[in-house]
Amino acid sequence: MEILNYTFMQRALVAGTLIGVLCAVMGVYVVLRGLSFIGAGIAHASFGGVAIGFATGVNPVWTAVIFCLGVGWSIGLLSRKGRVKEDTAVGIFFASTMALGILLIGLMKGYNQDLFGYLFGSILAVTRQDLWIILAVGLGILAVVVLFFKELLFVTFDPEMAQVGGLPAEKLYFLLLSLVALTVVISIKVVGIVLVSALLITPAAAAHQWSESFRSMMALGIFFALVSTVGGLFLSYWLDTASGATIVLLSTLIFFASAVFSPRRRRRKVSVASS
Amino acid sequence: MVKKTEDYIIEMENVSFSFGNLPVLDRVFFQVRRGEFLGLLGPNGSGKTTLIKCILGLVRPDEGTVRIFGKAPWDLNDDRHRIGYVPQLISVDLTFPLRAKEAVLMGRYARIGMLRRPKGSDREAARIAMERVGIADLADRPLARLSGGQRQRVFLARALANEPEILFLDEPTTSVDPTTTESFYELLGGLHREGMTIILVSHDVGVVASHVDGVACLNRGLVGHGRPEEVLGSEEMARMYGCDAVVFHHGRLPHIVVKRNDHGDS
Ligand SMILES: Nc1ncnc2c1ncn2[C@@H]1O[C@H](COP(=O)(O)OP(=O)(O)O)[C@@H](O)[C@H]1O
Ligand SMILES: [Mg+2]
Repeated sequence: MEILNYTFMQRALVAGTLIGVLCAVMGVYVVLRGLSFIGAGIAHASFGGVAIGFATGVNPVWTAVIFCLGVGWSIGLLSRKGRVKEDTAVGIFFASTMALGILLIGLMKGYNQDLFGYLFGSILAVTRQDLWIILAVGLGILAVVVLFFKELLFVTFDPEMAQVGGLPAEKLYFLLLSLVALTVVISIKVVGIVLVSALLITPAAAAHQWSESFRSMMALGIFFALVSTVGGLFLSYWLDTASGATIVLLSTLIFFASAVFSPRRRRRKVSVASS
Repeated sequence: MVKKTEDYIIEMENVSFSFGNLPVLDRVFFQVRRGEFLGLLGPNGSGKTTLIKCILGLVRPDEGTVRIFGKAPWDLNDDRHRIGYVPQLISVDLTFPLRAKEAVLMGRYARIGMLRRPKGSDREAARIAMERVGIADLADRPLARLSGGQRQRVFLARALANEPEILFLDEPTTSVDPTTTESFYELLGGLHREGMTIILVSHDVGVVASHVDGVACLNRGLVGHGRPEEVLGSEEMARMYGCDAVVFHHGRLPHIVVKRNDHGDS
């Protein structure tokens, strides 16, 4: 294991671990609340945010944070007010924010290698500063999840009932969107804009196949995500493949194995057979 | 202790509501007395769920006033804990990984307050609620492995865990077999005798009629409400809103006249 002596690999592993945990935790809410498409939309919107960063010379993480929060809230507001359906709102922002990014890049002189890294992820190019940002924002997200654990669970399961009980369901929904947006942004450097929604959705979806309680789904989701990120990193090193893609394909493999072998699946078969 | 104005636990005056340009509620006047067991009847799409949501403050009427416990529904604050709500089952994700006792404990969440963890007393309230509805032995069962009737009891227990004074149930026995339905209504009858105010939404008059002690019929506007023998006596009335039963109210014992014209739907 002499590869562990390389600084880039150490950084990649720490970043992969942190992002795996984060994506799995937020992914549980995304999967159960049906926010997968919104998550993918926010991820693609970050391209526009990153491009603004490149155009203005500000660290793209911060421009992407502001941009993605704005897009997440806009999607939420548009669909909440009943103007358009949620998937329509996502569809509009999905393409237009990418278009904005492409336009900005076209205006910039020359081709930007770094931007390519944001699109497809380059876990091996994670800087020390990136690591600190991931750590700080990630711990912030986890702290909010712990603090509002029961409230987020309630609005995810049954928002209407939560509101009747007196919880601020609307505000909690926007809190959830914000946490998803932040998770997406700090993950894009590692797995890439195009692939981040897979890491958000797939480990949680795999865990969903096995779980009978919320906490076990979260724990198992984290486990699957860590196997994907850490395992994917080593695999990509040995096979000399793109790290983001390797991570995502590994998690997809876990998902399909879960879908085929989980007891939920077997039970469904049994009940069909007996009825 | 109980204020005079609270004899009416719910008051709706001249309430109108539309989804876009689809009128759903049209000048509804409606009162519910403390301790009443009311069946809210009407065909599918007649606005029953919307009416309940107006009372609960989930939708705001375009016109008119709604009061519950003498207050506007969006201004209830701590009085929210006095409300129990069992929503229509279709609104719930049955693959959600949740054990019965966890779902029931959610009934306490709002009362516990933000940033606090459930205490022993909350778990105890959840346990008592589960015992009350007869699902104590299913506490560790995930929702996905409960039958329709068991699940409905979980949601009733969730509402009861909050120790409410008024219960709203929206079509609680759809997709539940007749025997289970019967015992579910007996359970509600028991709660009612202990003083619970209950508003039961259904499009199935025949089943509801033998358990409630009053009915209101809705078809956008309120077609009839109050002492059933005054309101529901005429046949045109019954035909107008599609109800095929009429409830008479003599003292404590409701008498039912059911017109059987077998639609085939239960
Ligand atoms: N969210 C909604 N948007 C638009 N129309 C709706 C919505 N919810 C209900 N409706 C319409 O309002 C009418 C009344 O619905 P509802 O109150 O659910 O009736 P009921 O509960 O008596 O079956 C129906 O015509 C229904 O199609
Ligand atoms: Mg309804």
